Amino acid sequence: MNASSKNDTNAENGEHMVDLTPIALLETIRSHGRVWGELAAQYGVTNPDPPWKVNLEATCDALSAEACALPLLERRSEEDELSASLYSNVPFPERQLLALAHSMIKRGLVDEKELASRMKQVHDRLTSA
Amino acid sequence: MAKKPTEGEHGHRPPAPMVDEVSDFEVLEMAVRELAIEKGLFSAEDHRRWTEYMDTLGPLPAARLVAKAWLDPAYKKLAVTDGVKASLQVGIDWVNSMPTNFGTPSDYCNLRVLEDTPKLKHVVVCTLCSCYPRPILGQSPEWYRTPNYRRRLVRWPRQVLAEFGLQLPPDVDVRVEDSNQKSRFIVLPMRPAGTEGWTEDQLAEIVTRDCLIGVAVPKPGVTANAKRPVHPAVHPVHHDH
Amino acid sequence: MSKSHHDRTHHVKKATGKGDPQCFKGEAGPPKFKVGDHVRIKDLPDLFYTRCQVYTRGAPCTVAALVYESPAAEDEAWDNTDKPEWFYSLIFRQKDLWPDYPEAYANDTVETELSERWLEKA
Repeated sequence: MNASSKNDTNAENGEHMVDLTPIALLETIRSHGRVWGELAAQYGVTNPDPPWKVNLEATCDALSAEACALPLLERRSEEDELSASLYSNVPFPERQLLALAHSMIKRGLVDEKELASRMKQVHDRLTSA
Repeated sequence: MAKKPTEGEHGHRPPAPMVDEVSDFEVLEMAVRELAIEKGLFSAEDHRRWTEYMDTLGPLPAARLVAKAWLDPAYKKLAVTDGVKASLQVGIDWVNSMPTNFGTPSDYCNLRVLEDTPKLKHVVVCTLCSCYPRPILGQSPEWYRTPNYRRRLVRWPRQVLAEFGLQLPPDVDVRVEDSNQKSRFIVLPMRPAGTEGWTEDQLAEIVTRDCLIGVAVPKPGVTANAKRPVHPAVHPVHHDH
Repeated sequence: MSKSHHDRTHHVKKATGKGDPQCFKGEAGPPKFKVGDHVRIKDLPDLFYTRCQVYTRGAPCTVAALVYESPAAEDEAWDNTDKPEWFYSLIFRQKDLWPDYPEAYANDTVETELSERWLEKA
């Protein structure tokens, strides 16, 4: 048995909190996305965290506190499991973001195709100005 | 947290460097947020309220609480008996504040201040997830969230503290505080020698986030947290009963 | 793990301006244990949800403080807030949790909180 939570115990017994099957869209981002550490070094920015980190934190809290679509403890357990497996080579907070998107897709809160097309829209908006 | 631009020598602001590139991660964050709002998982107004709250958070109020407690024995007594009340004097209202006015699942309103003595050192962990006294200490550092820290601190506290550079002699007892219910904790460390006559501001500067979690102790001249690499858990813990 | 869906409207009304756990003050009745009592953590079944950590189960400990009243996490996860309980701060000797903990540090301890249902007289 494990000194930590039931959740850890379950994971070690092969019972997973979350479906660990890779998601194509997130795999592309994981392998091609440029992480903040790299961008900050290239552009000489000293802020240790990406500007979107605070928005991500707000999203995580709002998902738990408002309609309770994704309770905090469940998201954190899934993030731990995904951080130790699929996204273990991704730095923080990029890893937290991928884990959140993964949890949301696997729960059907958002759909992978819908997320891909929204990402394209957002990208076009941000680069067209 | 973002660094504020500082005034240049001639009164103008030097241009702050910017990342002139849209990353997939930035786009993913926005897309997830927009879809969540459209699907009614939370509202744009909820998100704005939470973002504002996140922006106000940091470790300074907790550092000030400790500095005040070092200088004022009556305040120290209040801090260790009623952390929520003592927080008011450093500008933190656990109860009547944004975003919810009653604490959230991660920010319940019961702060306990753990007083170190020459014979007892406290250190805080949440073995369950990563409960942390956000209203007064800001967002937790990444290492605090890792299973490595959470599993190992309870079992091998002295080894983990040594990895942070804190070697404790055998005559100092270690008390690990596992924060997994509704109390949140900060450590009130011993005031170090060499700080005689210091002001509250000077004292607050050496009370770093790591000192408040308990993995470091204040030292004159040390005002920043040590960098800490994050490793995966290496010793899975086995339970004996 | 099953999902818990909260309707928080009731909770918001109760806790606003008071705080959680403060809003449950006075609702747990007289406490069964007092500071200094030697107790043991019960190994209750927890099929659905618990915050009682595995490492404490069956272990002896001492009541350090009565900290607040609140529904147990195991009930609250299901939005059942009808029966608040006393929460106790408990101190465990490391030696009692991990028999091979070094003798040189025999007074090292772990402190954590649990609700009354988890405690029995040692």
